[in-house]
Amino acid sequence: MVALFVLIKKRLSGWVIPFCSIGIVLSLLPVASAHAVEDSVIAIRGGTVLTMAGETIREGTVLIRNSKIAAVGKNIRIPDGAVIVDAAGKYVMPGIVDAMTYYGLRPFKLNADDPVTPQVKVIQAFYPYGKYWHGKGGVEPDTELMQYGITALYIAPGNRQVIGGQGAIVKTFGKNLDDLTLRASAAIDMALGDPPKKPVSENKAPTTRMAVATLIRKNLIQAQEFRAENRRRPKPKRDPALEPLVNMLDKKIPARIEADFVDDIRVALKLAEEFGFHLILDSGVGAYQMKDILAAKNIPVVLGPPSYPYPVDYNVKWLNDLIALTNDYNAKELIEAGVKVAIASFATGEQGIDSGYRGRWLILEAGYVTGFGVSEEDALKAITINPAEILGIADRVGSLEKGKDADVIICDGPPLKLKTWVEHVFIDGKLIYSRDPN
Amino acid sequence: MNVIRFSTIIFFAMMLTISGSLAKNADDSIALKGATIHTAVGPPIPNGTLVMAKGKITAVGADVAIPPGTKVIDVSGKTITPGFIDTHSHLGAYLDDVNEMPMPYGPENRGLDALQMDIPGWYEAVKGGTTVVVTGPGSGERMGGQSITIKTFGKDLHKRILKESGELKMAVNARDLTYIPEIHSKFLKAREYLNAWEAYESGGKKGDPPKRDLSLEALAKALTKEEPVRVHALYAHDMMSFCRMKDELGFDLQFIHSDDAFNIAEELARRDVPCICEPLSLHVGVSEEVIRGNVILHEAGVKIALHSDHPVSLQKTFRLSGSLSIRYGLPEEVALKAMTINPAEIARVQDRVGSLEIGKDADVIVFNGPWYELPTRIDMVFVDGVCAYDRLRDEQKTQEAQ
Repeated sequence: MVALFVLIKKRLSGWVIPFCSIGIVLSLLPVASAHAVEDSVIAIRGGTVLTMAGETIREGTVLIRNSKIAAVGKNIRIPDGAVIVDAAGKYVMPGIVDAMTYYGLRPFKLNADDPVTPQVKVIQAFYPYGKYWHGKGGVEPDTELMQYGITALYIAPGNRQVIGGQGAIVKTFGKNLDDLTLRASAAIDMALGDPPKKPVSENKAPTTRMAVATLIRKNLIQAQEFRAENRRRPKPKRDPALEPLVNMLDKKIPARIEADFVDDIRVALKLAEEFGFHLILDSGVGAYQMKDILAAKNIPVVLGPPSYPYPVDYNVKWLNDLIALTNDYNAKELIEAGVKVAIASFATGEQGIDSGYRGRWLILEAGYVTGFGVSEEDALKAITINPAEILGIADRVGSLEKGKDADVIICDGPPLKLKTWVEHVFIDGKLIYSRDPN
Repeated sequence: MNVIRFSTIIFFAMMLTISGSLAKNADDSIALKGATIHTAVGPPIPNGTLVMAKGKITAVGADVAIPPGTKVIDVSGKTITPGFIDTHSHLGAYLDDVNEMPMPYGPENRGLDALQMDIPGWYEAVKGGTTVVVTGPGSGERMGGQSITIKTFGKDLHKRILKESGELKMAVNARDLTYIPEIHSKFLKAREYLNAWEAYESGGKKGDPPKRDLSLEALAKALTKEEPVRVHALYAHDMMSFCRMKDELGFDLQFIHSDDAFNIAEELARRDVPCICEPLSLHVGVSEEVIRGNVILHEAGVKIALHSDHPVSLQKTFRLSGSLSIRYGLPEEVALKAMTINPAEIARVQDRVGSLEIGKDADVIVFNGPWYELPTRIDMVFVDGVCAYDRLRDEQKTQEAQ
């Protein structure tokens, strides 16, 4: 490792080095070593391993072979030649999965003007190469996401349309865009209630909740008819807007419906029943009032950040109603009723006041919710294995188990503590980030 | 639909009865015994006692004799701090009434005239430990108007108001080279206006008085230092422009949303200009440099305060602004000062609130753990010596309502 470090130092011209943080230099390491070694084996040894698969292993080992987890346990034999990472006193856990973001849509704006655009694929707006016309060639990890151990994201096209389009699931680093894309068409993003309503002054539908639901019904019926006609045709007709809706009706991909007021949640459940799609409820400020029905119907809920659980770009007219509806124990009540709950940031990539991305603080939100009756275990699950299961990517990420992708983070203390920092991030078995101790 | 509406009504009805029944205890003295007390002006007092009577703090310390007849509440193992003071919030402002956009220079507009009292936000603020807010105009105009300094709890609106006007809000975010010269020339006009009135008054009020101009009157108050000028300026060079204007005209200057202030920390310290800075709880992502900038400002000797900018981030989670600052290196005691005594001084209400000292208003928060830790909860909030929030009681009532 030391030799490689020197080698990289030599490769960079002299004047770059003083400005180069240790983190950046380290991040180059695995990329370089991947070329040099055939079978890369890393053993993260001695840490408290929060597997998120049921057990916590004290002084455990996580063995990574190439891009996958080869073994997790207490008495793992470490093969000769393995790179050993000493994690004594540290906490080892799976990378964090943020189940709802509007991240990285550059230079596109959120929310098309047309209320129904199922043909929109958000992956087409995703730019993982860092700042435009800069970089070292290829995908560049976002330091802000790395600092907080976020290794996978769901990206939605917005929440102000009735049917916004197809969300995507990506890893926050990979060899290239093909590699880091977990699902290019992961779900159909829809919204009910106030956010998708157009202002009356625009004189353009929908301006009421009624028309929002009507638009969904009409489009889904159109998709049903398209599917029926296509079944009769010898050669199926193509339609980029209706095909994804057919996939949704066929339960190949789920519907994600953002709904906050209890009445809007009720409409979401009604639509799911009418058309028989697989529903994921998003935001759900009032979901605690429907917990038993949600549990009985096995509908998972992706909640907003507990310190600010309201949809982005809210309309001031109904914020007070939402505040009155808010129950700080929403997550706790849902979990206790048996609903699968994820906590997501719902963060946009660009914020008005500053360049910072608030979605990076998801783990602090998980810490905050433990003050409201959610156990530390459940809070961590809500940002790892639960979102992975809800999004249908749990075969790849979300927990530290043999055969899964080696997306592993090492924290310098209990992960939900205020002063804990993520020290190392591995994605697909590669060390992508190390914290600069300064 | 009806279900929520009814539960909302029940919720409000309950809140009214709670506040009504609690208000009866106003004159009763209360002692909080056994907590670690952070006064915001001295070292923490372990196992301390705080006594409140008639709305004021009457005793605070480790060895306090509790007067007979005082209701003693055992708060062993808990943490006590002064009520939080938020120097920049739009709590209680009708939300589409904060920016008078067609009037880019409106220093005469007053936040008090758009104050909305019948919203759940006030109780949410109390739940989050904020007992005083400076609330008012937004940052859509170069001169937004005057804010109001008010307690978040109390039956009598007039008793709640600490200061009817407060700061004079300005903002220079949209960038145009003509803005700062225009602001400057308005101050020069205000100087002339002030001179005209002074001449009239010192000349025995002979003849017609000068015509009143509400706009210049408001600016004149800044020139006489009756009110501070508070500027929303994101960039250091804009802040420097205002600093130079202050050098020339001599008003009291403060900055809010001062993300870039750490780059001019020395210049600000030299001029005694305080900064009300980010983060805004966890809701608005600000870069690591900005949050660490608070440490640079503090070490340079600049007085710093935190703010929520409610509803940009919620008044209820204002505490997390302090937590985040501590995470990024601000010492715990400094972060507490930045939410209590510093904003009190910035809002010029430090004789009433901001610290736990004898004679000050009994605005007190009781936490179930260290005030800044993520899962810590607020157990009780007292405003003017009245228990405005009691978590156990509040949660029981909420459960019954469901």
